[in-house]
Amino acid sequence: MGQTNVSNDIRTLRFLHGEMTQQQLAEKVGVTRQTIGAIEKEAYAPSLELAFRIAHVFGKPLEEVFSYKAEQDPIFMDSSMQQEEQDGEK
Amino acid sequence: MTYQARKTVVSLGTYCLILLYFTLRLLGMQQAGGLDSDKVFRLWLIVIAASILVTVTATILSNIVYAIVEVIKTQQKPTFIEDERDEFIKLRGDRVGYIISSAGIFGAMLSFVLGQSALVMFTGLIAAGLLGQIAGDIYRLVLYRRGS
Repeated sequence: MGQTNVSNDIRTLRFLHGEMTQQQLAEKVGVTRQTIGAIEKEAYAPSLELAFRIAHVFGKPLEEVFSYKAEQDPIFMDSSMQQEEQDGEK
Repeated sequence: MTYQARKTVVSLGTYCLILLYFTLRLLGMQQAGGLDSDKVFRLWLIVIAASILVTVTATILSNIVYAIVEVIKTQQKPTFIEDERDEFIKLRGDRVGYIISSAGIFGAMLSFVLGQSALVMFTGLIAAGLLGQIAGDIYRLVLYRRGS
């Protein structure tokens, strides 16, 4: 599965919420501790529903917990390179 | 180790044992003078029945043992959580399993086209199924171990 293009601040937020453990967060959102670990390592991108649940636990909007690295997404990297080539030709 | 990862280990162990039994029986048939249709189809039935019964029994037993160990260790009721990541890993493993099985089935049918007996083809078909299952389980375990 490798690295995802979705980064997050779950580790920091857990620390700020009374040093909540991965297990405690996992129990609150109904997944395994290993899944929380994989999300924190950015090895797994959660579903939208799980992302909302995690954000809800921390009382934050989704965009304050998760962010999307568009510049590292191969799909947009290709299109931005094509755009640059077109701009260069002009 | 999660509930699903443990289930995968049990499945892998079970299918490896079934494959070992299947291979030993085939070698026995070869040494006794070649493949015999009655014996090959009986072996087919045994392998299919074992795949269902042994896997279900092994999963139930492993769950019981896990539950007992967890209660002794933590004094709490054990949880059997299957989440979206488990589903994702299962699908990825299934895909690998289907690819291996399909290649094996194609190879078995090709052997028939190239002049081998139908018994060789049927033996190849069941072997492809077992190998596909084992490959899928190994891939699932790799994904669990990688933490992705």
